[in-house]
Amino acid sequence: MTGAPSPRRAKIELLVRGDDAESFEVREVSSAAAWLQLRPTRVPEDAWELAEVTSRVGRQQNFVLKNTRTDRFLMLSEPERFLWDRMDGRTSLQDLATAYVLEYGAFDFDLIPALIRKLQRAELLTLTPASALRRVLARNRRRWLLQMAERALTSLERINVSSRRVQPFFERLYRWGGFLLFTRAAVLLGLLLGVVGLVAGVRLWPEADDIARGLGANPVKAILVVKVFFFVTVALHQIVHGLALVHYGRRVREFGFTFLHGFVPTFYVDVTDIFMVSRRARIVTALSGTLVHLVLGALWFVLAARLPGGFAQAFCATSGMIQWQAFVIALYPFCFIEMDGYHVLVDLLGLPTLKSDALAYVGSLFRAAPVVPWGREAGLWIGYVAVSAVSVAAFVAFNVWVIVHATT
Amino acid sequence: MSSPAETAVFLKTVRLFKEFDPPELLAFASRLRERALKKGQVLFREGDGGQEMFVVREGTALISKAVTGRVEKVLGREGSGDFFGEMSLFDRAPRSATVQAETDVELLVLDRDNLNLLIEVNPRAAAAFFHALVHVFIDRLRASGNLVAEVTRWGLEATGLDVESR
Repeated sequence: MTGAPSPRRAKIELLVRGDDAESFEVREVSSAAAWLQLRPTRVPEDAWELAEVTSRVGRQQNFVLKNTRTDRFLMLSEPERFLWDRMDGRTSLQDLATAYVLEYGAFDFDLIPALIRKLQRAELLTLTPASALRRVLARNRRRWLLQMAERALTSLERINVSSRRVQPFFERLYRWGGFLLFTRAAVLLGLLLGVVGLVAGVRLWPEADDIARGLGANPVKAILVVKVFFFVTVALHQIVHGLALVHYGRRVREFGFTFLHGFVPTFYVDVTDIFMVSRRARIVTALSGTLVHLVLGALWFVLAARLPGGFAQAFCATSGMIQWQAFVIALYPFCFIEMDGYHVLVDLLGLPTLKSDALAYVGSLFRAAPVVPWGREAGLWIGYVAVSAVSVAAFVAFNVWVIVHATT
Repeated sequence: MSSPAETAVFLKTVRLFKEFDPPELLAFASRLRERALKKGQVLFREGDGGQEMFVVREGTALISKAVTGRVEKVLGREGSGDFFGEMSLFDRAPRSATVQAETDVELLVLDRDNLNLLIEVNPRAAAAFFHALVHVFIDRLRASGNLVAEVTRWGLEATGLDVESR
């Protein structure tokens, strides 16, 4: 607590008309009064998952709350879960506070505001549009071009081909051979293939210019074909995640295709059930899908090394490169994207909201107003942002170099 | 009913007419109409047509803008010496807000014909009038900016929306 006085709470003056034309009443409403009447509303039931976990420290009961649309996680304490259960859009904050006092016999005045901020950051309350891009578009609806863009994104977002009855499919797939992927032999074989693929890739490297010429007179069309093939393997990536769930006796709740944020076409699988089991299971599930790209990339490279020069060899080599690029991107946690490697990292660190907290903390440093004192978490946040910024810059520079090299 | 001389004395206290000479004020006052409102009486509603501006001689008028249902946002109160309604006088657009008497109110009414007459017969006085009007507009613009900031702050506080850490 600081000794600084709190700023005066804002007030607005409202005129409320009576039943007849001329009677009215002027009411001054403070923001504090409105805050107490706020009825926080959770996102729809199918947009979040809650699982119970027991902390290693003090055997405390905690809960992992996941936004299944954005893949963002929150760790909730038992009292926070109590409040979350009541954020149904009908219960005001005043009622929430009363219920809390009745339940726990005491009240922490920062608890509810802090929880609401946390939930808003994880986009689990329906107060703001879903993404920063959508917020910008929503603010600029008067510009017809941006209005059209927003409409297009909204339309694309509605495209969702999915099924919630996929558990039998994944169980059958697992029984018919999927279980082999989770054996020691499969892991060794995968790693061996990775080494063989690496050797093949290194051997191909000196001939990279000749191979690139094999893409023919229309390299853009060739690259598009490679991308389409790659896109199919994204589905395979997700299927292997689902098989991992079955391997650990959990349920695949959904599998489908959608446009992430309205413009990124992607397949997805709902693996939230894995949070009900061990950390090892969560890490294996995250890594298993990623390894698909390692194996496929290796196979493409081996095939390319065995083919004579021409379009087929170029296609295989390019596909191999894209698969391995996807492998690295999916596994590398420091790129501001919450992919498999990021989930492994936050699980290991025990910081479920690492990215959002790190960006918020570094932002506060730039504003010279850090909200959290220096400590282990602050160090991790700065490290995450610094390494991610350098990594993204290096990735962009590398791709620019590749494009320049290929076109000159 | 006040005499033109009494009205001229009052107008001298109004910011818009500070630069008018006594003869100019007297001539101008004789062209203004008077209007009285009982407490609660609506002078005009948002969306109505209108070609007049009003100077409050006595009492308080409440200016409000519809928000939702029967709820309106109070934009301001105009007391003795204040004026309102000039926007429709100039741009001929419908009234942008509702004005209602918060107490018994006495008003002086200036319509477009009389304003045009002022411009024609006394350009110096008209220039002083418009000069003062611009200064009042500037004050109102500043007040509007402050109001927007205050209402935004209210919204952020009322919803607990955390925008700093995004």
